[in-house]
Amino acid sequence: MKFPAYDISRYTVRQLVALPIALLIISLLFLGFNTLTTGMPVDPGIDFAGGVAVTIPPTADSQAVVEGYFSEYPLKSVGEGVNGGYYVVFEYMPDDAFLSLSKVINEHYPDAKVDQIGETFGKTLQAQALWALLFSFIGMAIVVFIVFKNFVPSIAVVISAFSDIVITAALMDIVGITLTLGTTAALLMLIGYSVDSDILLTTRILKRKGKFSEKMQGAFRTGFTMTSTTISAIALMFVVSWIGQIDIIREISAVLLLGLFVDLMNTWMLNAGILTGYAGGDKR
Amino acid sequence: MSDDNDGGLLKTLKDWRVAVMLLLVVFSVVSIYVIPPGISNGMTGNLQLGLDLEGGSWIQLSFQSEVVRFDTDENPEVFAARIGEALDAEVFLFEEDRLEIRAPFTREELEPVFAENGGSIVTYENGVSKDTADQIKLILENKVNNLGTKDARINTITGLNGVTQYIRLELAGVDIATAQEIVGAQGKFEIRIQTIGNETEHVLYGDSIKSVSTPTQSPPGSDIWGVGFTLTQEGAAAFREAANTYGATSNPDAHEIMMFLDDETVYSASLNPQLAAELKTAPVRELRATTGAGEEGLEDAKKLEIHLRAGALPVDVEIAGSGTVSASLGEHFKVMSVIAGILALMAVAATVYYWYREPAIVLPMVGTTIAEIIILLGIAVYLQQLDLASIAGLIAVLGTGIDQLVVITDEVIHEGRVPSQNLYMKRFNRALGIIMVAACTTVIAMLPLAVMDLANLRGFAIITIMGVLIGVLITRPAYGKIIMAILSKKPGDHR
Repeated sequence: MKFPAYDISRYTVRQLVALPIALLIISLLFLGFNTLTTGMPVDPGIDFAGGVAVTIPPTADSQAVVEGYFSEYPLKSVGEGVNGGYYVVFEYMPDDAFLSLSKVINEHYPDAKVDQIGETFGKTLQAQALWALLFSFIGMAIVVFIVFKNFVPSIAVVISAFSDIVITAALMDIVGITLTLGTTAALLMLIGYSVDSDILLTTRILKRKGKFSEKMQGAFRTGFTMTSTTISAIALMFVVSWIGQIDIIREISAVLLLGLFVDLMNTWMLNAGILTGYAGGDKR
Repeated sequence: MSDDNDGGLLKTLKDWRVAVMLLLVVFSVVSIYVIPPGISNGMTGNLQLGLDLEGGSWIQLSFQSEVVRFDTDENPEVFAARIGEALDAEVFLFEEDRLEIRAPFTREELEPVFAENGGSIVTYENGVSKDTADQIKLILENKVNNLGTKDARINTITGLNGVTQYIRLELAGVDIATAQEIVGAQGKFEIRIQTIGNETEHVLYGDSIKSVSTPTQSPPGSDIWGVGFTLTQEGAAAFREAANTYGATSNPDAHEIMMFLDDETVYSASLNPQLAAELKTAPVRELRATTGAGEEGLEDAKKLEIHLRAGALPVDVEIAGSGTVSASLGEHFKVMSVIAGILALMAVAATVYYWYREPAIVLPMVGTTIAEIIILLGIAVYLQQLDLASIAGLIAVLGTGIDQLVVITDEVIHEGRVPSQNLYMKRFNRALGIIMVAACTTVIAMLPLAVMDLANLRGFAIITIMGVLIGVLITRPAYGKIIMAILSKKPGDHR
């Protein structure tokens, strides 16, 4: 049981928060730039933009063959699964086109999974998802402030959670995961995960007696154990859903996985840094 | 084991926290497998499975109509009638100041019309009133029941303002083409009559059909199937006039009666002699379309009945979204989900073993997590169907569950010493405090998803919330008791 030797009190507050803050700012700029150029911070999937997504079970057909079948339709992307299946995404098309596409799919791949979302319905979903994110975040912040009643520790938790979501969203866009209902849910779940380790850290530091560096060390040990068990569960979920072509679970687990690593950084550098500045190291 | 240890174990089992957990595990296993049909359904027992695990199709429909709250000094009914006339659309005043307009108009199009008629628009929303939504739901249920699917769910999605924006159909074991055929497009139904050669003339539209019966045999027991339907007074008059004018009553075979749905022939037959004779003297409102004998005749009759009902929806609908999963792919997802769950559990067990290296801690931890999942599934039998998104929720819960057991464990064996009873309870309560706050935030973060109509994610949110609540209220307190009993027997450094 070797724990990573990470003695937080060896670093100054500035050293601790510099990296997470820099990444947060870069991510905000990146998402802001996306919003200005495309209207959305992260490339929206069919749930929000409208379109058709088709999961084709393992087949002997090559990618070119699959593309050939669908060349008349507004093909957006074709992804190949590890099991020889495909995940094909089309941009929004009118009902008539979709009906004829349905026939084509049914003819070649009768066992495919097909999902279609209309443009207006996508907009409605998008608005609702935005509200959901906003409500969740505000609700979380209220709980945190009620529990700690202290401005600095509370705002530290809220900022780390915010930063978790923002940096994860930016990473999503970079690795090509679209914003869908599933990935929105994952971002919301991240609020829960993020606060989990932050609250552990804050409670240990503020409510326990003892030397600051020891409390920090103990909190880190527990927090790291926690996050690593969660990461192992989510990682397995990702691998199985990837092999098994369960797209919605693959998306959710991919985002959670990214988010958990981002959370490790934000909890143990950003939040721990702010708390070090607030509660003071052992020197004081 | 000495008697003393047995006594301790028994005492732990008798602790109410542990007892409640064990009872709930038994309750859940009984709910899933013992209550019929239970185990006869196979691996998944009584669990309600979503379409993506079972195979089937869903369609979400939106309405080509809007609900307007208006303000006027005039009598609302008179005002509503005038608006209907001005728009040349059907309107329905369902509350004193709320009007349902059954044709697509934008707010900008409506505003001048309201102003001209001495009123103004207060709010404007796409959708229909609850009454209309219920009526549409009933019609769709009829259509779906005729198909004989074993499992169909139809839900209206209504906002807090009482306006229904969507209606969602989930049809197990039905492919999307069939689902679209039944409910998607609202057809234009027409009866035409053959005049000379291939020429036909219009007789009546679907609005002249007052009611449609389910397939029946005529004469009873003959295995000759058909569908009876009733025309309106005007419809019957038009039918009689056409039959007489074009000579169907005198020479039925040369002048078939044809039914069209969206300009495609769905049925054609000649008048039977008895009906032809009756029509010569008076209009007939009760008609019957015979489809044939045996199983095939029955199937055709079912389809014809749906066709006859087409156009009966009071409001035009549009497909907002739809999806389908084949039964074989659903089965594959089911197997993969179980594998994902089991592997995730094993990964978690391996990770905690790596950190603690102490079976006395790892076994209760993993055992408690398994109990938590069994209880969650058991309660889900009554509350929530499981789809792929909720499986992701389940595994996410497994992750947080273990997290919190780690918090409890580390808190109570802090500094490697097993604490006294008093100190133990103090630390345990502090750990529960951390957990409560974390649980609270997760529940709050998930709440919007559970109440909003982002249909695909409800399952994820509800399973996560249920899992967190079960954890905080039942399994984590029980774990605290179990780990205390075990630690007090095995003093030593566990980290």
